[in-house]
Amino acid sequence: MTSTKSPVSLANFFIFNPTLGPREGEEHKKILLYYPTDVDIDTKIKNIGLCEAIVNFTSTFTDAPCEVMHTQKRRQVFYQAEKNFWIVMTVTIPISHKTKDGVPYIEYHEDDVQDSVFQAVLKQAYKMFRFFMGPFSDIMDRGNVQSLIQRLEHFYYRYLPTLKLDNSDILDVFNGIHFLPLDKHTYLRIQSFTNLLEATFSQIKYTAFLYNDQLVWSGLEQDDMRTMYKYLTTSLFPPFLEQELQGSPVANNDRRGSSVATLHYGRYINGPPNMSDSSNLGKVPRVYINTESTCEECHLVVYRALSATVCLLVDASYPLQFDFYRSIDGLVGPKLSVLASDISEQYVKRSTPSTGEVQFKYIYFNHMNLAQKTTVHTDSKKSSNVNIPADILRLLSDINSDLSRNVDEGETIVKSITDCWVVGKKSDQREFYVVINQKNANLIEINEEVKRLCATNFNNIFFLD
Amino acid sequence: MASENETVEPPGDEFKTLDEGNEPGGRRDGFLVASDSFEDFARLEEAKSSIKDRHPSGTINKIVREGSCEDPPDKQDEIESVSSGIASMATEEQNDSAFSDNGNVAEQVAPTLSASIHEEEELDEVHKPEWKGQKKHVFILSEAGKPIYSRYGAEDKLVTIMGVMQALVSFVQDSKDSMRCIISGKHKFVFLTRDHLLLVAVSCTSSSTPQLLLQLNYVYNQVLSVLTYSHINKIFKQRHNYDLRRLLTGAEKFFDSLLNLMDHEPGFLLSAVRCLPLPSAVRDVVAQSIVQHAKVKDLVFAILIANNQLITLVRMKKYFLHPADLHLIFNLVSASESFKTAESWTPICLPKFDSGGYLHAHVSYLDDNCAACLLLLTVDRDMFFTLSECKSKIVERLHRYNCIEAIREALTKYTYSISQVGIPDLRHFMYKSRSTAQFTSPELESPYHTASEQERIFGLYQYLHHRMHSTSRPLKILFHVGSYETLLGWVTSGFELYAVFGPLVTKPTAINSINKLLKWIKKEEDRLFILNSPTF
Repeated sequence: MTSTKSPVSLANFFIFNPTLGPREGEEHKKILLYYPTDVDIDTKIKNIGLCEAIVNFTSTFTDAPCEVMHTQKRRQVFYQAEKNFWIVMTVTIPISHKTKDGVPYIEYHEDDVQDSVFQAVLKQAYKMFRFFMGPFSDIMDRGNVQSLIQRLEHFYYRYLPTLKLDNSDILDVFNGIHFLPLDKHTYLRIQSFTNLLEATFSQIKYTAFLYNDQLVWSGLEQDDMRTMYKYLTTSLFPPFLEQELQGSPVANNDRRGSSVATLHYGRYINGPPNMSDSSNLGKVPRVYINTESTCEECHLVVYRALSATVCLLVDASYPLQFDFYRSIDGLVGPKLSVLASDISEQYVKRSTPSTGEVQFKYIYFNHMNLAQKTTVHTDSKKSSNVNIPADILRLLSDINSDLSRNVDEGETIVKSITDCWVVGKKSDQREFYVVINQKNANLIEINEEVKRLCATNFNNIFFLD
Repeated sequence: MASENETVEPPGDEFKTLDEGNEPGGRRDGFLVASDSFEDFARLEEAKSSIKDRHPSGTINKIVREGSCEDPPDKQDEIESVSSGIASMATEEQNDSAFSDNGNVAEQVAPTLSASIHEEEELDEVHKPEWKGQKKHVFILSEAGKPIYSRYGAEDKLVTIMGVMQALVSFVQDSKDSMRCIISGKHKFVFLTRDHLLLVAVSCTSSSTPQLLLQLNYVYNQVLSVLTYSHINKIFKQRHNYDLRRLLTGAEKFFDSLLNLMDHEPGFLLSAVRCLPLPSAVRDVVAQSIVQHAKVKDLVFAILIANNQLITLVRMKKYFLHPADLHLIFNLVSASESFKTAESWTPICLPKFDSGGYLHAHVSYLDDNCAACLLLLTVDRDMFFTLSECKSKIVERLHRYNCIEAIREALTKYTYSISQVGIPDLRHFMYKSRSTAQFTSPELESPYHTASEQERIFGLYQYLHHRMHSTSRPLKILFHVGSYETLLGWVTSGFELYAVFGPLVTKPTAINSINKLLKWIKKEEDRLFILNSPTF
């Protein structure tokens, strides 16, 4: 008799800096953030003390920083985000209630929680904070400990509840970007459009162009784009789309009266919600990019027409005023609307073919440009829409962590206990995973199958045979 | 390639049609417990509550009762006298350890730890680069945090670091949880808690966490093998702070040699035993000689081994030996130089057989010029002279049939060369027959003739084994193409096969080779495996 498994859930999440409370009796000063909040101070101090003890203990044997601790019931992930700043996340191990010989017992599914996945989730949590708030040490330098604590609380108390830990998987490890391939002509038109924007408005330092959830063009550093992409696709776009679906903002059409020439579908997602109301500038977040080197501060203005979105990173020293928004709207709105409808024609053409009798599912990731493709997940957002069994999905992460640990190039083919075949290939910074559910196939047939698949879907990419 | 395709029988189907037990080296009536103890072990970890039931199986008492022993020795007596033979029980001084169990460890942890590591007394061990740089540390400590053994460095110089280990474990226990492992880069810190003892491995080898746990469990079994579970239990129930080193004086060499053995001997990983390749006729004569001349009441096992390989095993009906126990016997023999000079009489506890008491072993080498060692294990501690006589008769008969000569010859060739298998693409392999818990594998030859290459290839086998035997995601087949070689793992209900090819081998060639290999093993099975199970 088995019951269903409990989900992986967040047990706690805390940030501390051991140098802030070095003396006995001052341990509480080390704590910069502790989630959940309804925990007494002694427990907080104890748990942080244990983490410090573990970090010290492991440093007796190795200079490599402590990464994870496994216990029967929990998994604790460590990340030294900046010098002396440690972020620790603890998640619960899924359990199920079983009985053996009439005696009930709890089974802990330790292998369901994969280190590489949750280490990636933790790093993402830091990078997202840094994107919106800047590095910990910079905040401390500019203000004091209290201002850092305030920002940490402000950010993480809202961010943490949105983590879908139970749906975390190999995509979190890749943390890649879905690109939209376009024909040369359209691609160049988009590039000339962004060039025009940056040339006209010198305060715009960088731009990025997306169509639906897919990236078309970006002038940002890859790592910043990766974080911004995550923010756009998981937290900015979904509520906006929902709002649009409900059809509430008819405001779009109201302002047509102003001039017939500016008839378009553009509007701000981050920026003034209504172009005929100059008193409401809307909310525009500040973001920190290139933090490893120069650390630039920018306003993140996001503008959308139909399914096309353009992100404008405006120099933070430039005060955003309604006139600026209006002139952007005037220039971008019509052009973006046209671009959007042109892309949509290509988009429809591209997305229809070859969905027939597919017996395989795959995930592709390119480390060089962060391009990611998946047919395992039914949508790019993090949800439980996965069309292969959970254990097989975890098998992909197993193979991925073996391949990333041992070799630059390699291939692994496995047959699971349930007779499902999984193939993982890595060559030239690219990784490719295929799941084939053909029970009676043998190794050679599977090999042929994968060759065929590579030839049809990735014909211009070289894979080691 | 296409023509090759036709002749190839790919893994997955070939042996499904055969009856169980027909795979190469397979038999239904083995003498070793064939349960896959690796998976068993993992499962036992899950339900740790059952551990107590596992310990005193009382097999030895049962044998004593079954044999018409007129005056069964009082078991308590027996254990007392034996342990006093290992080390005298000195009177206990009440020396409280730094981390006593009644103090609130939790509150001590944070402040004590960071400071304590820098205490001067430890400067000489913990801060020595060669100590820090060791690839696999193993520590044994008592529940109270007292050092019992350290693979490297003097354990009394490591009081503080072991105290830290104990504190970490008990801190986690305070929240009704249990510590498994910590990972820092390439280092794994693995913790195994057993009744009264804590075992810790600190490793930067390619062993996986479950494999390190298995090794720690072997080390634990080695402790039991010297002291028995009952004895340890009794001592720690009386004195929580007991310094177990008093009872283990002289046993360090067994831990050292066991750990060295596990670093390169695949038998532990596979939970299987390697047999000395020998013509089956010779092996039969050896077994018959033992059966004829050692038909003595209360003799449970007669085991002939050489260079960590089994030559033959004769057992009492109804009783089986677990491969894990046999590994401890291998270790006992390879770590004890003294057996070479004289017939010996030594107590040994075989934890899987009965962790509650000792068997008594008559240990002797067959001949001054032969590395084969005969062990006669009994439950009767007064049988030395009877068994000594048996041994003389056995040796006499073996000489008469030229068996000792045959064994000596087999031993000069260590095992066999991969070239004898005659498959050009195959570099090395390990084959385990699951039903008999025996395995075979050729010698490591070029390119695996250097120590570092051998360590690397063993690491690859560990990786392969780890993935194939994952508790939650086990695999039937794993084919891996790496930079330096291609690996194939294949597990069926009857056998496990791990093979190493050159990096450029094609899949059809690899599979073709594997099928040839299975045929070769089948052909050679009489020589490579012990297929019958003689009893007294």
